[in-house]
This record gives sequence, structure tokens and C-alpha cells, in this order.
Amino acid sequence: MEAVQVLMDNLWVAIGAILVFFMLGGFILLEAGSTRMKNAGHVAGKTIFTAGLGTLVFWAVGYGFIYGDGNAFIGLSNFFYGDTTTAAEAGGLTPAVDFSFQAMFAIVALTIAFGGFAERAKLSVYVIFAILFSALVYPVVAHWIWGGGWLAEHGKQDFAGSTVVHLTGAMAALAATMILKPRIGKYNRDGSSNVLAGHNQVYTTLGVLILWVGWFGFNGASTFGVADGFLGYVILNTQLAAAAGAVAAMFTAWVKTGKADVPTTLNGALAGLVAITASCGFVAPWAAVIIGLVGGVMVVFSMQLFEKQKIDDPIAALSVHGTVGIWGTLSNGLFALPALSTDIGWGQAGLFYGGGFEQLGVQALGVVASGAYAFVVAFILLKIMDKVMGGLRVTEEEEIMGLDISEHGSYGYPEQMALEEAKLTTAATKEKFS
Amino acid sequence: METYESIKEWKNSNLSSFLINNVSLNTFHDQVMQKVLEVAKGNMKQKRSPCKFTWFITGSGGRFEQALISDQDHGIIYEQSSKENDLYFKQLGEELSYGMDTVGYPYCNGNIMSSNPIWCKSVTDWELQLRKWMGEESWESIRYLQIFYDARALYGSEDYIKQLKAAIYHYQNDNPTLLMRFMENVKHLKNAIGPMGQLLAEQHGSYQGHINLKYTAFLPYVNSIRLLSIKEGICATSTLERIIELQEKEEYKELMKYSYENFMTLMNYRLSLFKVKEYDDTHYLNVKTLTKEQRKELKRILKYGKKLHDEVIELVS
Repeated sequence: MEAVQVLMDNLWVAIGAILVFFMLGGFILLEAGSTRMKNAGHVAGKTIFTAGLGTLVFWAVGYGFIYGDGNAFIGLSNFFYGDTTTAAEAGGLTPAVDFSFQAMFAIVALTIAFGGFAERAKLSVYVIFAILFSALVYPVVAHWIWGGGWLAEHGKQDFAGSTVVHLTGAMAALAATMILKPRIGKYNRDGSSNVLAGHNQVYTTLGVLILWVGWFGFNGASTFGVADGFLGYVILNTQLAAAAGAVAAMFTAWVKTGKADVPTTLNGALAGLVAITASCGFVAPWAAVIIGLVGGVMVVFSMQLFEKQKIDDPIAALSVHGTVGIWGTLSNGLFALPALSTDIGWGQAGLFYGGGFEQLGVQALGVVASGAYAFVVAFILLKIMDKVMGGLRVTEEEEIMGLDISEHGSYGYPEQMALEEAKLTTAATKEKFS
Repeated sequence: METYESIKEWKNSNLSSFLINNVSLNTFHDQVMQKVLEVAKGNMKQKRSPCKFTWFITGSGGRFEQALISDQDHGIIYEQSSKENDLYFKQLGEELSYGMDTVGYPYCNGNIMSSNPIWCKSVTDWELQLRKWMGEESWESIRYLQIFYDARALYGSEDYIKQLKAAIYHYQNDNPTLLMRFMENVKHLKNAIGPMGQLLAEQHGSYQGHINLKYTAFLPYVNSIRLLSIKEGICATSTLERIIELQEKEEYKELMKYSYENFMTLMNYRLSLFKVKEYDDTHYLNVKTLTKEQRKELKRILKYGKKLHDEVIELVS
């Protein structure tokens, strides 16, 4: 019986790894759909090679920095991961299954970070930053919370990574957005902003749906096993929060502007998912609904706030993964059930269950420490790159013509872009001779 | 000897002194356009027109609600069709459109100009065309009919226009579906009040934080009042005059109660916009510059406009 359980645990987590990796398909569609036609091939394609780079770095040093033997700050063994044991000692996961599952999270965090680079960063910047982020930013935060670092010892609750994956990614995205500055045409001279609408809402929608499905692996397999069927409980909470987030965001957009905006609704579903990521294994289903609802409302206001601050965030990564990632982490401090926290020795119950402010404090400390680390280190790294590489951003001409052609030499939509070019040339000629 | 250039100069140097109120501004526009007609007639090879004719303006000019700048909307109705007459008025129409553009009324995107044969016809042909439009009931012909209903004479007798509008009135009396088609054509309303009762300003672009008065405030009033005017055969073209005439009818007394006052206030808002803003767009009102009371008033006017619009639609459907 025990042998069957071990096999099932391994199988479930391996399936989880596949589901999480498939979330990249969601990101590809989400990002490509939310950006303009001239950048579509680039935005989609770069996700594949940064996933490649991220994997190699994670294999070389990332896993070791997180789970190796080290100190409260960082792990320092298991580099160039190559544990050949097939059966885990004492009936756990095989090291390779565990490694694969962990690697996917690192890649997702990296993909989130690159959201802040969209439509204006040089390709070479993606290459260098993929390496630096995967080695120096993500593993440190992951070690603190999941790898037995100093925050884990405090009893920090982050079931599947609202902080570790989403907030860390978003903080790097924030640093990048601030250094890169807004895209050409985003803001007018009088300070008002323009919509640089994404070119395909259907892509974006399908992207969100794929992410949603992938999230069942992201959260569900973070149980690391099938014991007691707890994975079903986690999946239930995940579904409820995502549903609530979508509904809340659409309603909020309608109340605010009179129109039920589609991109906002989609970000609401993602907000629900991000919010429940930290708490899916700790809270009751009704709380999951509340956590999702709050996330959905929050994401709308957060997007508006960033826009007003002149922070140009093309795919709302800062709001969806950052702002809501913080809320998700803090929500544990309010809603964590005693049976799923205190009783099993994983932190304390939330404020509403008599746990007082203790867990909320631990969660807040985790958010501040992890967020600050990710932001400061990413900011410094990008600033150094900015100096060394002669700027992070493509030239104005390249940005206008689009990164498909400037960085890769061919368009994602060759026929349509040729037409657009012809129109532009005619317009320019007309202007000259009229 | 006047030319288009001299009219333009005169217009530009005197315009600001007519910004006292809407009546004075529109009377001034009328004078400018009448001068354009005189020059256009003088530029024709044939110095005397071959028969009687009426030159009308429509659109906001027809309603006596023109802003500082608006594009030209006009047409010609002449006494009788003949080879010579058709040619003369075709040329006069072209000359007029050119002159209006030169003086500062840009060409109309929708091509509602005397230079377009559709808008330059003998009275008999006009009647045939109106009947064709009324029979067709297509989106475009319904638009044209409503545009025609805002026409008033700038030159020549008002009789032709009255005669043609009477034809529309009688036709719709006998064919109630026509009024329904007019109604369907103006049913859409750009909502400016949110579910929480807040003003819905533009979210993006250079008019961020502004309300588009034309679509959210003016059109609900203009369209619903026009609809009732067609139904009742009212010939007046300005929305305010139409309201007065409607108020005289017992069944509209209640409905029209605040319409006059509200529409007047809207016109004054717009007038105040001309003074501060550049000429280019006088329909965008910056919500931030309004006092609390003004905001309240604007909301009241917008809500009333929506109510009026909805009730009129209910009434004719």
C-alpha cells in the first residue's frame, strides 16, 4: 500500500510539473494578445528561449541555492543537479520529480518578471537578465520561504507561491518598468494616457484559460502528494477564487466606467488565482471566495494607480502578480484555519480564527523582506546592465517598427505587417507632397 | 467688392465680440454665410439666377446651435428643373461649398453640401427624393430625412421647406412605421452617468477626465425633441423653439417641463468652453474644472436628458 502511495505521489507531482510548464502556453497567448501586432512574434518567441535559459540556470545553480545545505540566507550545495536515486528515502518524492516541479516554478517567476519588459527591451537584455534573475533573485527568496531559510523558521505560510513566485516576479517587473520608462505614445504631453490596445483579445482570453487550468497543477501539486485527497480541496479553493476574481473585476469595471471591459475581467480571473496561491491549502472555501473577490476588485484599482503614476505596465503584471500577490499572502494571516495551520505545525491560525495578529505579522514581514530583496537586487542588476550594455531599450526607430523585425528579422504576422508598412509609406509620402 | 478672403478676415476679427450668447453667435454665422452666398452668386458667369431658389442650412447650423467652428451642412431647393437650371445650380452649389470652406466652414465629411446633387434639386425632384427615402427606410435614408428636418432657409423663401416638411409630416401620419424607424435610428445613447451615479469621463487620450457633451448631453435632447417635432409636424428647427411649441400642447407639458431650461444651460456651458479653449473642440468639458454645484447641475441635466430620451422612445414605439 505504501509503495502505491509513493508512486501516486510521484505521479501527481510529475503531472503538476507538466501542468505548470504548460502555463507558459498561457503566458505566451496572454502576453502576445495584450501587445501589438508588430511585437507578437517576439513576445511569444522570447518566452521559449528564456524558459530554456531559466531551466539551464536552475539546473546549474538555482536548485542548489534554494534547497542545498547552507545558511538562513542561501543554500550552497547540490549544484549541477544530478541526483540519480530513483526511489526517495522514506517514501517521499524522487529527487528528479521534485527537481522538475521546482524548476517549473522558477521559469514561471521569470516569465512574470519579463512582463514588465514588454514591447521595448532589447533581446540581449532578456538573455542576460534571464540568467541573473534565475541565479540571484528568485532562488534567494525561494530559499528563505521554502528552502528552510529564515522566513520558513518564522512559520511563513505560502502554499504555492503568492510571494515566492508572483511577488518576486512582479518586483523585478516593476524595477524593469521603472528603468525602461513608458512605451512611445503611451503618455501625452499633458500627462494624460492613451490605450495601446493589445491586438487580440481572443488570444488573451485563451491565455487566461490555459493559465487557469495550469494553476490546478501549480496549487494542486504543491500538496506534494495525494494523501487524504487534499489536492481536491486545494483545487476547489483555487477554482472558487478564480471565479470570484473574474466576476468581481468585471463588476468593478462596469461600476467604474459603465462598460464591462474584457481585459479587466481577464485580469480579475488571474488576480483570483494569484491571491489564492498562498492560501489555497490553509483556508475554508468561503474564505477562498472572499480572497478572490477582493483580489478581483483590487486589480482594477491597482492598474489605474500604476497608470496614473506613469508606470507603463503593458500586461498588468505589476497589478496581477504584485499587488494581488501581496494581498494573497496577507490573506493567510486573516483566514488560515487552525486545523490547517497550528494543528499541523505550519504557522498560526489567522486573525478571524483567534490566531491574533501573529500570523498576519509573519506574512507581512515575509512580503516586505521578499519584495524589498527582489526589487532592490533586480533594480541594481538592471542598472548595471543599463550602463554596461548601453541602455536596456531598443532605439526609437526599432520600437516604432516593432521588435519582431528589429530583434528577429521577421514578422509574427508577415502579410498584415507588409500592408501596414505600405499604408505608412503612402501616408508619409502624402504628407511630404501635400 | 467682397471676396471669400475678405469675409474670412471680417469673420475672424469680429467673431469674439459675438460670443455673448448663442443667439448672437448664430446670428453672426448667418450673416457670414449670407455674405458667402452673395460672393458665390457674383462669381457665377450668369449673374442672375434663372429661377427662384432657397438656400438652406441644416445640422447644428440649421438648429441655430452652431458652435465656434462646425463643418458646412447645406443644400438648395429651386423652382423648376430644366437643363439650364440644373447646370446653374450645380455650379452655384460647387461654388458655395468652396466658398464656405475658404471662409472657415470645412467641407462636410458626410457630403451634405449643395455641391452634392442629392442636396441640390428642384422642389419637385426634392419631393420625389423624400418619398423615395421614406419608402426605403434604410439607415442612410432615415439619417438624411432627419438631417433635412433640421433645415431652415438662409436665402430665399421658407415656403419650399415648409412644403417639403409637410410632406414628411403627412407621410408619417399615414405610415406610423416611419416614426419607429426614426426612433430606432437615434435609440443609442452614450451613457455619462455610472451605476454609482458618478460622472463617466473619458478614460484615456488627450480628453482624459473630460465629458463629451455632444454625445452625452446634447444629442439626447436634440434627437428626442426632433422626433416629437416630426410627429407633430413642427417646422421650427432650433431645439429651444421646438420645445416652446411642444410645451403648448397639453400632452407634452409635463414631459417638456425642464427641457428648455436644461438645454439653455447646456448651451451656456458650451459657450463658456469656447472662451477658455482653443477653437478645435468645444464639446469636451473637463470635469475637474467644475465646482461641486456645477457637477450636480450637470448630472441633473444628463439624467433628465436620458429620461427624456427614454420617455420619447417609449412614446413613439
